[in-house]
Amino acid sequence: MYTQFFGNFLLSKGAISAEDLVNALHKQSTTFLKLGTLAMHAGLLTSAEVDAIVIMQTHQDKRFGELAIEGGYLTSEQVDELLSSQKPDYLLLGQILIEDGLLTNAQFEDLLQEYQSGNEIYDLDTAHEQKDMVEKLINKFCNFDSTATSEKAISFLSLLFNDIVRFIGKDFTPLNPVLKTEYLTNYCVTQEINGPLTIDAGLDMSKTTAIAFASRYAKEEFTEFDEYVQAALEDFINLHNGLFNVNMSNEHSLELNLCPPMVHEEETLKRDTPIYVFPVIFPFGTVNFLLSF
Amino acid sequence: MKLDEAKILVSDDSILSRKQLKDTIAQWGSPTFVEAANGQEAIEKFKAEKPDLTFLDIVMPVLDGIGAVEGIIAEDSSANIVIVSSVGTQAQLKKAIEAGAKDFIQKPLNADQLRSIIAINFEI
Repeated sequence: MYTQFFGNFLLSKGAISAEDLVNALHKQSTTFLKLGTLAMHAGLLTSAEVDAIVIMQTHQDKRFGELAIEGGYLTSEQVDELLSSQKPDYLLLGQILIEDGLLTNAQFEDLLQEYQSGNEIYDLDTAHEQKDMVEKLINKFCNFDSTATSEKAISFLSLLFNDIVRFIGKDFTPLNPVLKTEYLTNYCVTQEINGPLTIDAGLDMSKTTAIAFASRYAKEEFTEFDEYVQAALEDFINLHNGLFNVNMSNEHSLELNLCPPMVHEEETLKRDTPIYVFPVIFPFGTVNFLLSF
Repeated sequence: MKLDEAKILVSDDSILSRKQLKDTIAQWGSPTFVEAANGQEAIEKFKAEKPDLTFLDIVMPVLDGIGAVEGIIAEDSSANIVIVSSVGTQAQLKKAIEAGAKDFIQKPLNADQLRSIIAINFEI
Protein backbone atom coordinates (compact mmCIF):
# COMPACT_ATOMS: atom_id res chain seq x y z
CA MET A 1 0.00 0.00 0.00
CA TYR A 2 1.19 3.47 -0.84
CA THR A 3 0.29 7.00 0.16
CA GLN A 4 0.66 8.29 -3.39
CA PHE A 5 1.09 7.18 -6.99
CA PHE A 6 4.73 6.92 -8.12
CA GLY A 7 4.12 9.36 -10.99
CA ASN A 8 2.84 11.93 -8.54
CA PHE A 9 5.87 11.39 -6.35
CA LEU A 10 8.17 12.02 -9.35
CA LEU A 11 6.27 15.24 -10.10
CA SER A 12 6.47 16.45 -6.51
CA LYS A 13 10.24 15.77 -6.50
CA GLY A 14 10.61 17.80 -9.69
CA ALA A 15 12.28 14.72 -11.23
CA ILE A 16 10.23 15.00 -14.44
CA SER A 17 7.78 17.46 -16.00
CA ALA A 18 4.02 16.93 -16.22
CA GLU A 19 4.29 16.52 -20.02
CA ASP A 20 7.01 13.84 -19.70
CA LEU A 21 4.84 11.98 -17.23
CA VAL A 22 1.78 12.00 -19.46
CA ASN A 23 3.86 10.85 -22.45
CA ALA A 24 5.25 7.99 -20.37
CA LEU A 25 1.78 6.98 -19.13
CA HIS A 26 0.63 6.74 -22.74
CA LYS A 27 3.34 4.22 -23.53
CA GLN A 28 2.46 1.93 -20.62
CA SER A 29 0.05 -0.34 -22.47
CA THR A 30 2.56 -1.10 -25.23
CA THR A 31 5.67 -1.61 -23.06
CA PHE A 32 6.78 -4.71 -21.18
CA LEU A 33 8.71 -4.81 -17.97
CA LYS A 34 12.34 -5.84 -18.28
CA LEU A 35 14.12 -8.28 -16.05
CA GLY A 36 16.69 -5.64 -15.08
CA THR A 37 13.97 -3.33 -13.73
CA LEU A 38 12.41 -6.20 -11.77
CA ALA A 39 15.77 -7.31 -10.33
CA MET A 40 16.60 -3.78 -9.26
CA HIS A 41 13.22 -3.42 -7.57
CA ALA A 42 13.71 -6.74 -5.74
CA GLY A 43 17.12 -5.53 -4.54
CA LEU A 44 18.92 -8.36 -6.36
CA LEU A 45 20.87 -6.08 -8.70
CA THR A 46 22.20 -2.55 -8.28
CA SER A 47 21.75 0.06 -11.01
CA ALA A 48 25.49 -0.28 -11.81
CA GLU A 49 25.10 -4.05 -12.30
CA VAL A 50 22.08 -3.55 -14.57
CA ASP A 51 24.10 -1.03 -16.61
CA ALA A 52 27.01 -3.51 -16.85
CA ILE A 53 24.75 -6.32 -18.11
CA VAL A 54 23.07 -3.99 -20.62
CA ILE A 55 26.56 -3.12 -21.98
CA MET A 56 27.38 -6.86 -22.21
CA GLN A 57 24.16 -7.29 -24.23
CA THR A 58 25.44 -4.88 -26.88
CA HIS A 59 28.40 -7.24 -27.51
CA GLN A 60 26.61 -10.60 -27.29
CA ASP A 61 23.30 -11.70 -28.74
CA LYS A 62 21.91 -13.05 -25.48
CA ARG A 63 19.00 -12.30 -23.22
CA PHE A 64 19.48 -10.17 -20.12
CA GLY A 65 18.61 -13.15 -17.88
CA GLU A 66 21.14 -15.47 -19.53
CA LEU A 67 23.92 -12.91 -19.15
CA ALA A 68 22.96 -12.21 -15.54
CA ILE A 69 23.16 -15.95 -14.73
CA GLU A 70 26.44 -16.46 -16.64
CA GLY A 71 27.98 -13.46 -14.94
CA GLY A 72 26.97 -14.79 -11.53
CA TYR A 73 24.70 -11.83 -10.85
CA LEU A 74 21.54 -13.92 -10.52
CA THR A 75 20.70 -17.63 -10.12
CA SER A 76 18.26 -19.24 -12.54
CA GLU A 77 15.83 -19.68 -9.61
CA GLN A 78 15.95 -15.94 -8.98
CA VAL A 79 15.26 -15.23 -12.65
CA ASP A 80 12.23 -17.56 -12.60
CA GLU A 81 10.95 -16.02 -9.42
CA LEU A 82 11.32 -12.47 -10.77
CA LEU A 83 9.45 -13.33 -13.94
CA SER A 84 6.52 -14.81 -12.02
CA SER A 85 6.36 -12.14 -9.33
CA GLN A 86 3.71 -9.41 -9.06
CA LYS A 87 4.70 -6.42 -11.15
CA PRO A 88 3.48 -3.08 -9.85
CA ASP A 89 2.67 -0.43 -12.46
CA TYR A 90 5.15 2.10 -11.12
CA LEU A 91 8.06 -0.09 -12.25
CA LEU A 92 6.86 0.08 -15.83
CA LEU A 93 6.55 3.85 -15.55
CA GLY A 94 10.12 4.09 -14.26
CA GLN A 95 11.42 1.87 -17.04
CA ILE A 96 9.75 4.00 -19.73
CA LEU A 97 11.30 7.14 -18.26
CA ILE A 98 14.72 5.43 -18.36
CA GLU A 99 14.20 4.34 -21.97
CA ASP A 100 13.18 7.89 -22.88
CA GLY A 101 16.41 9.14 -21.35
CA LEU A 102 14.59 11.18 -18.70
CA LEU A 103 16.07 9.19 -15.80
CA THR A 104 19.21 7.08 -15.46
CA ASN A 105 19.09 3.64 -13.81
CA ALA A 106 20.91 5.12 -10.83
CA GLN A 107 18.44 8.02 -10.48
CA PHE A 108 15.52 5.61 -10.76
CA GLU A 109 17.05 3.37 -8.09
CA ASP A 110 17.43 6.33 -5.69
CA LEU A 111 13.95 7.68 -6.39
CA LEU A 112 12.38 4.23 -6.01
CA GLN A 113 14.11 3.79 -2.68
CA GLU A 114 12.93 7.17 -1.46
CA TYR A 115 9.40 6.48 -2.74
CA GLN A 116 9.23 3.16 -0.93
CA SER A 117 10.70 4.37 2.34
CA GLY A 118 8.60 7.51 2.47
CA ASN A 119 5.36 6.41 0.89
CA GLU A 120 4.86 2.74 1.57
CA ILE A 121 2.73 1.75 4.52
CA TYR A 122 4.26 -1.52 5.67
CA ASP A 123 2.20 -2.36 8.66
CA LEU A 124 0.01 -0.92 11.36
CA ASP A 125 2.06 1.33 13.57
CA THR A 126 0.27 0.30 16.75
CA ALA A 127 0.82 -1.68 19.91
CA HIS A 128 1.23 -5.42 19.41
CA GLU A 129 -2.02 -6.29 21.17
CA GLN A 130 -4.03 -3.86 19.09
CA LYS A 131 -2.39 -4.97 15.86
CA ASP A 132 -3.37 -8.50 16.77
CA MET A 133 -6.97 -7.46 17.21
CA VAL A 134 -7.09 -5.65 13.88
CA GLU A 135 -5.54 -8.64 12.11
CA LYS A 136 -8.02 -11.06 13.67
CA LEU A 137 -10.84 -8.79 12.68
CA ILE A 138 -9.62 -8.57 9.11
CA ASN A 139 -9.20 -12.35 8.95
CA LYS A 140 -12.71 -12.76 10.29
CA PHE A 141 -13.89 -10.57 7.46
CA CYS A 142 -12.02 -12.85 5.10
CA ASN A 143 -14.18 -15.75 6.33
CA PHE A 144 -17.35 -13.84 5.58
CA ASP A 145 -16.63 -13.81 1.92
CA SER A 146 -14.50 -16.16 -0.09
CA THR A 147 -14.92 -14.50 -3.49
CA ALA A 148 -12.32 -12.48 -5.40
CA THR A 149 -13.71 -9.31 -3.80
CA SER A 150 -12.32 -10.39 -0.46
CA GLU A 151 -8.72 -9.57 -1.42
CA LYS A 152 -9.74 -6.00 -2.25
CA ALA A 153 -11.90 -5.86 0.90
CA ILE A 154 -8.95 -6.87 3.06
CA SER A 155 -6.75 -4.33 1.33
CA PHE A 156 -9.45 -1.70 1.97
CA LEU A 157 -9.67 -2.56 5.67
CA SER A 158 -5.89 -2.69 6.21
CA LEU A 159 -5.61 0.77 4.68
CA LEU A 160 -8.59 1.99 6.76
CA PHE A 161 -6.96 0.99 10.03
CA ASN A 162 -3.66 2.48 8.87
CA ASP A 163 -5.47 5.72 8.04
CA ILE A 164 -7.19 5.73 11.44
CA VAL A 165 -3.74 5.47 13.06
CA ARG A 166 -2.28 8.08 10.74
CA PHE A 167 -5.02 10.71 10.90
CA ILE A 168 -6.95 10.10 14.16
CA GLY A 169 -4.72 8.22 16.58
CA LYS A 170 -3.55 4.86 17.91
CA ASP A 171 -5.76 4.80 20.98
CA PHE A 172 -8.65 2.76 19.63
CA THR A 173 -10.16 -0.67 20.16
CA PRO A 174 -11.82 -2.34 17.20
CA LEU A 175 -14.79 -4.62 17.93
CA ASN A 176 -16.08 -7.53 15.87
CA PRO A 177 -17.96 -6.53 12.73
CA VAL A 178 -21.72 -6.93 12.60
CA LEU A 179 -23.60 -7.73 9.40
CA LYS A 180 -26.79 -5.74 8.76
CA THR A 181 -29.34 -5.50 5.98
CA GLU A 182 -30.52 -2.11 7.25
CA TYR A 183 -28.69 0.41 9.37
CA LEU A 184 -30.14 3.30 11.34
CA THR A 185 -27.69 6.20 11.23
CA ASN A 186 -26.82 8.82 13.79
CA TYR A 187 -24.70 11.40 11.91
CA CYS A 188 -23.35 9.47 8.98
CA VAL A 189 -21.22 10.31 5.94
CA THR A 190 -20.95 7.79 3.10
CA GLN A 191 -19.10 7.80 -0.18
CA GLU A 192 -19.42 5.50 -3.16
CA ILE A 193 -16.46 4.12 -5.07
CA ASN A 194 -17.47 2.74 -8.45
CA GLY A 195 -16.02 1.37 -11.66
CA PRO A 196 -14.72 -2.19 -12.02
CA LEU A 197 -15.40 -2.53 -8.29
CA THR A 198 -18.21 -0.96 -6.23
CA ILE A 199 -17.70 -0.10 -2.58
CA ASP A 200 -19.90 2.03 -0.38
CA ALA A 201 -17.94 3.21 2.64
CA GLY A 202 -19.03 5.42 5.49
CA LEU A 203 -18.61 6.49 9.06
CA ASP A 204 -21.33 7.07 11.61
CA MET A 205 -21.19 8.62 15.08
CA SER A 206 -22.97 10.95 17.49
CA LYS A 207 -22.48 14.69 17.01
CA THR A 208 -20.46 14.91 20.25
CA THR A 209 -18.13 12.18 19.03
CA ALA A 210 -17.95 13.94 15.66
CA ILE A 211 -16.62 17.13 17.30
CA ALA A 212 -13.76 15.17 18.93
CA PHE A 213 -13.09 13.08 15.80
CA ALA A 214 -12.95 16.24 13.64
CA SER A 215 -10.66 18.03 16.12
CA ARG A 216 -8.15 15.19 15.85
CA TYR A 217 -8.40 14.95 12.08
CA ALA A 218 -8.03 18.70 11.47
CA LYS A 219 -5.55 19.17 14.36
CA GLU A 220 -7.72 22.03 15.50
CA GLU A 221 -9.94 22.33 18.57
CA PHE A 222 -13.62 22.38 17.60
CA THR A 223 -16.21 23.05 20.32
CA GLU A 224 -19.49 22.86 18.43
CA PHE A 225 -20.98 20.72 15.69
CA ASP A 226 -20.52 23.15 12.80
CA GLU A 227 -19.78 23.01 9.07
CA TYR A 228 -16.05 22.48 9.73
CA VAL A 229 -16.79 19.38 11.82
CA GLN A 230 -19.09 18.06 9.09
CA ALA A 231 -16.43 18.77 6.45
CA ALA A 232 -13.78 16.95 8.52
CA LEU A 233 -15.83 13.74 8.49
CA GLU A 234 -16.31 14.05 4.74
CA ASP A 235 -12.60 14.81 4.26
CA PHE A 236 -11.56 11.74 6.25
CA ILE A 237 -13.64 9.31 4.21
CA ASN A 238 -12.75 11.09 0.94
CA LEU A 239 -9.04 10.97 1.78
CA HIS A 240 -9.14 7.30 2.74
CA ASN A 241 -11.14 6.30 -0.34
CA GLY A 242 -8.91 8.42 -2.57
CA LEU A 243 -5.81 6.69 -1.23
CA PHE A 244 -7.51 3.30 -1.71
CA ASN A 245 -8.12 4.24 -5.37
CA VAL A 246 -4.46 5.28 -5.70
CA ASN A 247 -3.40 1.87 -4.37
CA MET A 248 -5.75 -0.03 -6.66
CA SER A 249 -4.43 1.99 -9.62
CA ASN A 250 -0.80 1.66 -8.54
CA GLU A 251 -0.78 -2.04 -7.71
CA HIS A 252 -3.61 -3.61 -9.71
CA SER A 253 -4.05 -1.20 -12.68
CA LEU A 254 -7.65 -0.84 -11.54
CA GLU A 255 -9.10 2.62 -12.23
CA LEU A 256 -11.95 3.48 -9.87
CA ASN A 257 -14.15 6.58 -9.56
CA LEU A 258 -15.10 8.46 -6.44
CA CYS A 259 -18.50 10.14 -5.96
CA PRO A 260 -18.95 13.20 -3.74
CA PRO A 261 -19.67 12.25 -0.07
CA MET A 262 -23.29 12.08 1.13
CA VAL A 263 -24.75 12.87 4.56
CA HIS A 264 -27.40 10.65 6.19
CA GLU A 265 -28.76 12.00 9.44
CA GLU A 266 -31.03 9.71 11.48
CA GLU A 267 -31.93 7.79 8.39
CA THR A 268 -32.31 4.08 7.61
CA LEU A 269 -29.59 3.02 5.19
CA LYS A 270 -30.49 0.22 2.80
CA ARG A 271 -28.07 -1.27 0.31
CA ASP A 272 -28.33 -3.99 -2.34
CA THR A 273 -25.56 -5.88 -0.56
CA PRO A 274 -25.14 -6.45 3.21
CA ILE A 275 -23.67 -3.63 5.30
CA TYR A 276 -20.67 -4.56 7.43
CA VAL A 277 -20.53 -2.43 10.55
CA PHE A 278 -17.12 -2.11 12.22
CA PRO A 279 -17.45 -0.44 15.62
CA VAL A 280 -14.24 1.24 16.76
CA ILE A 281 -14.03 2.58 20.30
CA PHE A 282 -11.98 5.73 20.92
CA PRO A 283 -11.60 7.44 24.32
CA PHE A 284 -13.94 10.18 23.00
CA GLY A 285 -16.68 7.86 21.72
CA THR A 286 -17.55 5.08 19.30
CA VAL A 287 -17.31 5.41 15.55
CA ASN A 288 -19.04 2.86 13.33
CA PHE A 289 -17.28 2.33 10.03
CA LEU A 290 -19.69 1.03 7.39
CA LEU A 291 -18.79 -0.98 4.38
CA SER A 292 -20.76 -2.67 1.61
CA PHE A 293 -19.31 -4.38 -1.42
CA MET B 1 4.55 39.21 -8.83
CA LYS B 2 4.62 39.32 -5.05
CA LEU B 3 2.41 36.82 -3.23
CA ASP B 4 0.78 39.71 -1.37
CA GLU B 5 -0.45 41.15 -4.69
CA ALA B 6 -1.71 37.81 -6.04
CA LYS B 7 -5.27 36.59 -6.37
CA ILE B 8 -5.71 32.88 -5.68
CA LEU B 9 -8.83 30.82 -6.39
CA VAL B 10 -9.38 27.90 -4.01
CA SER B 11 -11.98 25.37 -5.20
CA ASP B 12 -12.97 22.49 -2.96
CA ASP B 13 -16.38 21.29 -1.75
CA SER B 14 -14.95 20.98 1.76
CA ILE B 15 -14.89 24.24 3.71
CA LEU B 16 -12.23 22.67 5.94
CA SER B 17 -9.95 21.82 3.00
CA ARG B 18 -10.31 25.36 1.67
CA LYS B 19 -9.45 26.76 5.09
CA GLN B 20 -6.41 24.49 5.46
CA LEU B 21 -5.09 25.48 2.04
CA LYS B 22 -5.62 29.20 2.74
CA ASP B 23 -4.10 28.99 6.24
CA THR B 24 -1.02 27.22 4.88
CA ILE B 25 -0.46 29.79 2.12
CA ALA B 26 -1.12 32.65 4.59
CA GLN B 27 2.08 31.65 6.42
CA TRP B 28 4.08 33.05 3.47
CA GLY B 29 2.06 36.15 2.59
CA SER B 30 -1.38 37.70 2.30
CA PRO B 31 -2.80 37.15 -1.18
CA THR B 32 -6.46 37.79 -1.99
CA PHE B 33 -8.39 34.52 -1.82
CA VAL B 34 -11.48 33.71 -3.86
CA GLU B 35 -13.38 30.50 -3.05
CA ALA B 36 -15.60 28.06 -4.93
CA ALA B 37 -17.40 24.96 -3.60
CA ASN B 38 -17.85 23.09 -6.90
CA GLY B 39 -16.47 22.97 -10.43
CA GLN B 40 -19.19 25.11 -11.98
CA GLU B 41 -18.70 27.83 -9.37
CA ALA B 42 -14.93 27.63 -9.98
CA ILE B 43 -15.39 28.41 -13.69
CA GLU B 44 -17.71 31.34 -12.88
CA LYS B 45 -15.34 32.73 -10.25
CA PHE B 46 -12.43 32.32 -12.64
CA LYS B 47 -14.21 34.35 -15.33
CA ALA B 48 -15.25 37.07 -12.89
CA GLU B 49 -12.06 37.33 -10.83
CA LYS B 50 -9.24 36.34 -13.24
CA PRO B 51 -7.07 34.76 -10.52
CA ASP B 52 -3.28 34.39 -10.94
CA LEU B 53 -3.36 30.82 -9.61
CA THR B 54 -6.23 28.33 -9.31
CA PHE B 55 -6.38 25.32 -6.99
CA LEU B 56 -8.97 22.67 -7.86
CA ASP B 57 -10.11 19.56 -6.03
CA ILE B 58 -11.23 16.65 -8.25
CA VAL B 59 -14.17 15.07 -6.42
CA MET B 60 -16.73 17.88 -6.26
CA PRO B 61 -20.51 17.98 -6.77
CA VAL B 62 -22.24 19.63 -9.77
CA LEU B 63 -19.07 19.61 -11.91
CA ASP B 64 -15.86 17.80 -10.95
CA GLY B 65 -12.35 19.23 -11.02
CA ILE B 66 -11.42 17.82 -14.43
CA GLY B 67 -14.55 19.43 -15.93
CA ALA B 68 -13.56 22.68 -14.25
CA VAL B 69 -10.02 22.50 -15.74
CA GLU B 70 -11.58 22.12 -19.20
CA GLY B 71 -13.98 25.03 -18.61
CA ILE B 72 -11.25 27.32 -17.30
CA ILE B 73 -8.78 26.44 -20.09
CA ALA B 74 -11.53 27.14 -22.66
CA GLU B 75 -11.76 30.64 -21.15
CA ASP B 76 -8.00 31.20 -20.83
CA SER B 77 -5.60 28.66 -22.30
CA SER B 78 -2.70 30.02 -20.22
CA ALA B 79 -4.54 29.63 -16.89
CA ASN B 80 -2.36 28.48 -14.05
CA ILE B 81 -4.15 25.48 -12.52
CA VAL B 82 -2.96 23.11 -9.79
CA ILE B 83 -5.01 20.07 -8.75
CA VAL B 84 -5.16 19.26 -5.04
CA SER B 85 -6.85 15.90 -4.58
CA SER B 86 -6.90 12.65 -2.64
CA VAL B 87 -7.47 10.75 -5.91
CA GLY B 88 -3.99 10.93 -7.40
CA THR B 89 -4.43 7.85 -9.59
CA GLN B 90 -2.70 7.43 -12.93
CA ALA B 91 -5.95 8.02 -14.81
CA GLN B 92 -6.91 11.19 -12.91
CA LEU B 93 -3.41 12.62 -13.13
CA LYS B 94 -3.31 11.98 -16.87
CA LYS B 95 -6.77 13.51 -17.44
CA ALA B 96 -5.92 16.60 -15.37
CA ILE B 97 -2.62 17.31 -17.12
CA GLU B 98 -4.03 16.60 -20.57
CA ALA B 99 -6.89 19.01 -19.82
CA GLY B 100 -4.32 21.70 -18.98
CA ALA B 101 -3.49 21.49 -15.26
CA LYS B 102 0.13 22.43 -14.51
CA ASP B 103 0.65 20.39 -11.35
CA PHE B 104 -0.99 17.84 -9.07
CA ILE B 105 -0.76 17.72 -5.27
CA GLN B 106 -1.78 14.47 -3.57
CA LYS B 107 -3.75 15.02 -0.34
CA PRO B 108 -3.11 15.10 2.60
CA LEU B 109 -1.72 18.55 1.96
CA ASN B 110 2.05 18.76 2.27
CA ALA B 111 3.18 22.28 3.19
CA ASP B 112 6.63 21.90 1.56
CA GLN B 113 5.14 20.84 -1.75
CA LEU B 114 2.63 23.68 -1.61
CA ARG B 115 5.39 26.16 -0.76
CA SER B 116 7.44 25.13 -3.78
CA ILE B 117 4.41 25.66 -6.06
CA ILE B 118 3.74 29.09 -4.53
CA ALA B 119 7.45 29.96 -4.88
CA ILE B 120 7.46 29.05 -8.60
CA ASN B 121 4.57 31.43 -9.23
CA PHE B 122 5.18 34.32 -6.84
CA GLU B 123 7.85 36.13 -4.87
CA ILE B 124 7.63 35.15 -1.23
